[in-house]
Amino acid sequence: MNDNQTLLSVENVSTHFFTEDGVARAVQDVSFSIKKGKTFALVGESGCGKSVTALSIMRLVSTPSGKIVGGNIVFEGRNLLELSGKQIRQIRGNKIAMIFQEPMTSLNPVYTVGNQIVEAIRLHQKKSIKAAWADATETLRKVGIADPEQRVSEYPHQMSGGMRQRVMIAMAVSCEPTLLIADEPTTALDVTIQAQILDLLDQLQEQNGMSILLITHDLGVVAERADNVAVMYASRIVEVADSRTLFAEPLHPYTQGLLKSLPRLGLSAKRLQTISGTVPDPLHFPAGCKFHPRCCVGCSDKRCQTVEPKLRKVPSGRYVACWYAPGYEKKCKT
Amino acid sequence: MITYIIRRLLYTIPIVFGVLLITFILFIVVSGDTSVEEAGKSASKETIEEIRKERGYDKPLFLSWDSQFIKHLKNTLVFDFGRARDRELIIDKIKRGAGPSLSLTIPMFLGTLIISVSLALVVAFLRGTIIDILAVLLCVAGMSIPFLSFILFGQYFLAFKWGLFPVFFSPDLTMVQYLALPVLIGIAAGLGGNLRFYRTVMLDEMRSDYVRTAFAKGLSVRRVLFKHVLKNAMIPIITRVVLAIPFLFLGSLLLERFFGIPGLGYLMIEAIGARDRYVIMAMTYIGALLFVVFNLITDICYAFVDPRISLE
Amino acid sequence: MLLLTRGFPLNEQGVKLKKELPKGRGLWVDGLRRLRRRKLAMVSFGIIMVYLLLTGFVCVTEIFDWQVGPARWDEKVGSEYEPPSAENIFGTDFLGRSVFRKTLYGTKISITVAFWASVISLGIGVPLGAIAGYFRGVVDEIIVWLYTTLSSIPYILLILAFALVLRGKTVFGYKLAGITSVYLAIGFTSWVGICRLIRGEVIKHKDREYVLAARSYGCGNSRIILRYIIPNVFHIIIINFSLSFVGFIQAEVILSFLGLGEKTRPSWGAMIDAARLDLPKGYWWEMTAATIAIFFISLALNIFGDALRDSLDPKLRIQ
Repeated sequence: MNDNQTLLSVENVSTHFFTEDGVARAVQDVSFSIKKGKTFALVGESGCGKSVTALSIMRLVSTPSGKIVGGNIVFEGRNLLELSGKQIRQIRGNKIAMIFQEPMTSLNPVYTVGNQIVEAIRLHQKKSIKAAWADATETLRKVGIADPEQRVSEYPHQMSGGMRQRVMIAMAVSCEPTLLIADEPTTALDVTIQAQILDLLDQLQEQNGMSILLITHDLGVVAERADNVAVMYASRIVEVADSRTLFAEPLHPYTQGLLKSLPRLGLSAKRLQTISGTVPDPLHFPAGCKFHPRCCVGCSDKRCQTVEPKLRKVPSGRYVACWYAPGYEKKCKT
Repeated sequence: MITYIIRRLLYTIPIVFGVLLITFILFIVVSGDTSVEEAGKSASKETIEEIRKERGYDKPLFLSWDSQFIKHLKNTLVFDFGRARDRELIIDKIKRGAGPSLSLTIPMFLGTLIISVSLALVVAFLRGTIIDILAVLLCVAGMSIPFLSFILFGQYFLAFKWGLFPVFFSPDLTMVQYLALPVLIGIAAGLGGNLRFYRTVMLDEMRSDYVRTAFAKGLSVRRVLFKHVLKNAMIPIITRVVLAIPFLFLGSLLLERFFGIPGLGYLMIEAIGARDRYVIMAMTYIGALLFVVFNLITDICYAFVDPRISLE
Repeated sequence: MLLLTRGFPLNEQGVKLKKELPKGRGLWVDGLRRLRRRKLAMVSFGIIMVYLLLTGFVCVTEIFDWQVGPARWDEKVGSEYEPPSAENIFGTDFLGRSVFRKTLYGTKISITVAFWASVISLGIGVPLGAIAGYFRGVVDEIIVWLYTTLSSIPYILLILAFALVLRGKTVFGYKLAGITSVYLAIGFTSWVGICRLIRGEVIKHKDREYVLAARSYGCGNSRIILRYIIPNVFHIIIINFSLSFVGFIQAEVILSFLGLGEKTRPSWGAMIDAARLDLPKGYWWEMTAATIAIFFISLALNIFGDALRDSLDPKLRIQ
């Protein structure tokens, strides 16, 4: 996985939360890699661990309860998990930037947006205050904010949700990172604004050539914009493929279920299908394959109930974690 | 801005009226006519009658133009509280006591504030570590020791036994000399509760989303704490600080009693001993008025810290 | 949905909410289970129980007139000012009475005062808060005005004023003496905090679906408040009870010390008052005994109250 096309590779990362009620295994044995200039999507329901995966890459998992307990995260040839606090701070916001789900609360309410962008710029680049402010204004213009000269000295509460998300993006791209992590960037926004924000991300990617790790629960978003997709369920990745293949031929029953529950044009006669049951509690995962209580294929299979399948390469060249995926077991025995 | 202040001022009118009503009911209606007690055991009928006239006990309570209630309203609003048992004007007593009280409470308050806010930042910085847990436990332990024990043991050991400080106020001592120990004791006693409060405020702020954003930018913990958290935490801190100021004027009841500082706390203790309810009433009214005023100031202070509050 | 998805602070709330769904566990079962796992809180609970049992024991001995232990605090057990010894572990006071027995007896006075003060303050604060929050309008404005006014009078002055004025008054043929005026003064002045909290919670709850549902099938207002809303804010009452109890104990000590409390029977405040004169002469034990007694019950209540709050409602903070 370490050819020079790869920007980031996540290898067997596990992140646990040590709570009063026990250990919550939020991320287990997750591996994937992101190529330069490409968009990688991490898809899953709420609570499946996709955000924690992103925070693990930034090393921002909340202490003291959360801890990355294993694995490697290699970014531009360096293992992020082995860096000192100072070294990781030089990467955060500079090489890897992140935008969050809640534009309403993610900006500091008591500072102007300009102040907050300038802070990021001056932290990573040796620039005068004046130059940094000019940069900030320019970045705001780049993310499509009208009248940036005035907006730059406004406070977050004076802006709409969509505009605040643009400010977040401006802050993130102000240092021209090579990787942008977008954690559900559009979930809190109106549908019309959602498309605009995603288009903006596309456009910035073209300009800067950065890679994007797009975290979402919305398969519709993924289909259009991602090059590769990983589907996450209950703290594990259950399937990885390029997005075209995934949509054409999903291998894991969970992915199949997700796709069937998507509305599609031309198929309006049929009722949308749903996946029965709920996401398991990270403190009390079921034994065996975590999806088996909700799975229409393997819910009564003894093996599915007792042994958890690992993510493996199947003969078709894709990665999946299901005993029933074609070729999965053959590969396992050899 | 002006309209905001005017509106806030108008809002204080019913509150001040309420305070007047409560003090009236408590001190005049419920207490009743105490002229006999006030005049002393061997007083003549004339003396008692005179006191009744002066206090207005001979007038109806409500529902008349010269009722006691109207008199209470008129007099209290202009700080005319009448005379204390020793015939001195109460307002003069209060004016005299304010200075010594403030010279005790201001250093005590500032000391507690500075020490506890800086310690709270350190503890928030070390959150979750053994030092943090120990600090919280010590705070709770400190809060559980009665204030009286702090004073009595402090005075006994530091002043009486080891002779580090003078035991008691006397006019020939300098202010620093006789105030050092009470201030020190006051700070020690107040530290636990304050530190715990400010720590909670800081930790609440540290859980906010904007703190995560700040870390994602690559800021160091120190910078996040001092630039981002502290300014947001200023809002609850200012509330607590400004609303504590009225209490500074009231002095410290117990500290002044034990160290013989002739301030307002001492005045109140004397009044309780003499059952002189007019002094207590005057202090209650002034205390409430100060509180209302500083509440107004708090609201205006918010506007300077929090851009979200618009004054229109 | 949950905090876990946002990944940052996985706190108890996040996990709790999640659990409630599949297993149908209630807030109380969950909270108490979490509470039971905190060792310090359980030790504190044990200490509180010891104080309560002691109070109960003293009450029983008084009712049946048993002449044992703390009930015999008035007895002369030695000479004046005996230092602590194996016989009298906290020594004796200026009349040769056992300081240990006096301390035990003082427990009853303090706990009784704090208990009745709590009952009065909850008895005023909870109904007023619920009515204000539920009906809003003019009623709300009057109640808010009342508590804003009361809370603008510095607490210590208000409580002193009440204690001073109530003392020696005769109400319905009952003379308010000793501890009665103390707990009345504390109770009447301390309901503002809980009233404000309950009002806020009721405003939050009254437009929730379950209340609307109850109204839709014809429940009356009083039934909705008592059967639907109060159980949902009950944990706040409990938390407030345990945390304000400490304040009441300390207030009793100060009032007794100022001579506005119990005069004829021993209480912790009166013991400290006596020790004020004894301490300079080197008789430290009475002061120490009272301090220790106050310290442990306060510490236990503080720790237990905090743990209770964290377990039942992590978002609730001291106002």
